[in-house]
Amino acid sequence: MNLTDLTAVVLDGFVLGLQFGILGVGLTLVYGLGGIVNLAHGQMAVLAAIIIARLIDGGTQTALALLIGVTAVGILGLVLDLTLMQPVYREPGEGRVLLGLLLMLGVGFIIDGILEWRYPIEALTLRVSGSPIRILDVPMRRGSIIASAAIIGIGAALALFFRYTTFGRATRSVIQDEQGARLCGVNPALVRTVVFALSGVLAGVVAVTRAMTTPVDSTAGVSLTVFALIVAVVGGLGSVSGAFLAGILLGIVNTVSAFYIGSYVSTIILLVVAAITIVVRPSGLLGVKS
Amino acid sequence: MSGHLLEIEGLCAGYLGQDVVHNASLFVGQGEAVAVIGSNGAGKTTMFRAICGMLEATAGTVRFDGEDITNQKAHKVSRAGVVYVPAERHLFPQMSVRENLVLGAYPKRPSGSQLDMIFRLFPRLEERLSQHAGLMSGGEQQMLAVGRALMSSPRVLLLDEPTTGLSPLLANEAYDALAELRSDGLTILVAEQQVPLALGLVDRGYVLDHGRIDLTGTADELRDDPGVRRAYLGV
Repeated sequence: MNLTDLTAVVLDGFVLGLQFGILGVGLTLVYGLGGIVNLAHGQMAVLAAIIIARLIDGGTQTALALLIGVTAVGILGLVLDLTLMQPVYREPGEGRVLLGLLLMLGVGFIIDGILEWRYPIEALTLRVSGSPIRILDVPMRRGSIIASAAIIGIGAALALFFRYTTFGRATRSVIQDEQGARLCGVNPALVRTVVFALSGVLAGVVAVTRAMTTPVDSTAGVSLTVFALIVAVVGGLGSVSGAFLAGILLGIVNTVSAFYIGSYVSTIILLVVAAITIVVRPSGLLGVKS
Repeated sequence: MSGHLLEIEGLCAGYLGQDVVHNASLFVGQGEAVAVIGSNGAGKTTMFRAICGMLEATAGTVRFDGEDITNQKAHKVSRAGVVYVPAERHLFPQMSVRENLVLGAYPKRPSGSQLDMIFRLFPRLEERLSQHAGLMSGGEQQMLAVGRALMSSPRVLLLDEPTTGLSPLLANEAYDALAELRSDGLTILVAEQQVPLALGLVDRGYVLDHGRIDLTGTADELRDDPGVRRAYLGV
């Protein structure tokens, strides 16, 4: 086993893992707050990617296109929360989880259908020019480094927001004990709406950072949703740092197994690792115990 | 307008279309301490949940400071100054004592003097400031639940069985703290089945039986009532 190879593979896994992490965060927050498994999360990311790609093709400046694409899915999240999700929030207990899951599955199908119908071969690739930078003696592409730095920055900002701001603390209080939060004067409906919109923005961030390392095509939605789900469950539903930890773990597992065994088994190994984690720690790596 | 701070009239509430509390009326004056006594299942918790917006009242009105707050959302009732401490406490288990207290002041930022007041009342909380709430003993959790409620400077404190899960010694300490709050002028409505403790604190009380208020009087009157003595005081 060549040490440089291993370092390179682990670093690649880390880059992928950060993307998995930010993907899982969007899903985990929405679930932790309102019990909704957003099975359209990956499709929302792809929607952002295709909007950005179309805008850039049409001559819009890249920075502006990114801003519009990310904002658009943020607004989509906001609108979904205020419309389709309202009857879901009124449903008590298990009914809520199932209804939310089915409705969001439907939203995912609709986005997938529209994209495959109108833009079947569209893909977003964001090329970052410049020669590779050596990290730990491994030449890393600039796109990977910028994408990773952006995710780390956003992740840190999220962590600070949830830990130290009044609204961030209120968000965690609803995740940990919604009744207790209401007794403290926190309005869970407002928190849910804001966080669903934030989750949409994070889906947009996934699209942008992913496109710096790999093309994001119009059919990528389902697999992104599946990865988001695995990361959120392994990390512990409702935990931001758990999602990042799980994302990095699974990203490294994915690239290492793809490199040393073959990419055909890497997803299976990923699922096995996820299953083992859940057996050992049912509430996830950093999950809120109920 | 009779001018009582909290007035409940003809309140009915329950679960799954079945009322548990029937036509309950009571009032609490400014600065008063009042008890609702009754055995397990009498409907005390249901009544309190309906007052504070955690459960929909099917009939009746809840007025606070002259304003109709019947079936307002719980967070609005709390912000208006009617703060409920449930028997199950509903603390945030993975947050520190400090964070639980800070959330009590939501949406405002907590002031240092409020924290100092709570630490004077419950010195234990200051010692445990960075401890996770979920890892504390029952007595400490009860202190934290009351402390968290006080952070919003409530105008009425609703306490549901504050002695739940506490040893007799800790239950006494809890009531000592409540007596201190009372003498500071806080208005208190407390539900309790440990009747001697409750009657030692309050001015007046209501007896709730099978969801109906069937007796009311001053603490002394209730203590001397043959029915109360037989049912709750074991005499």
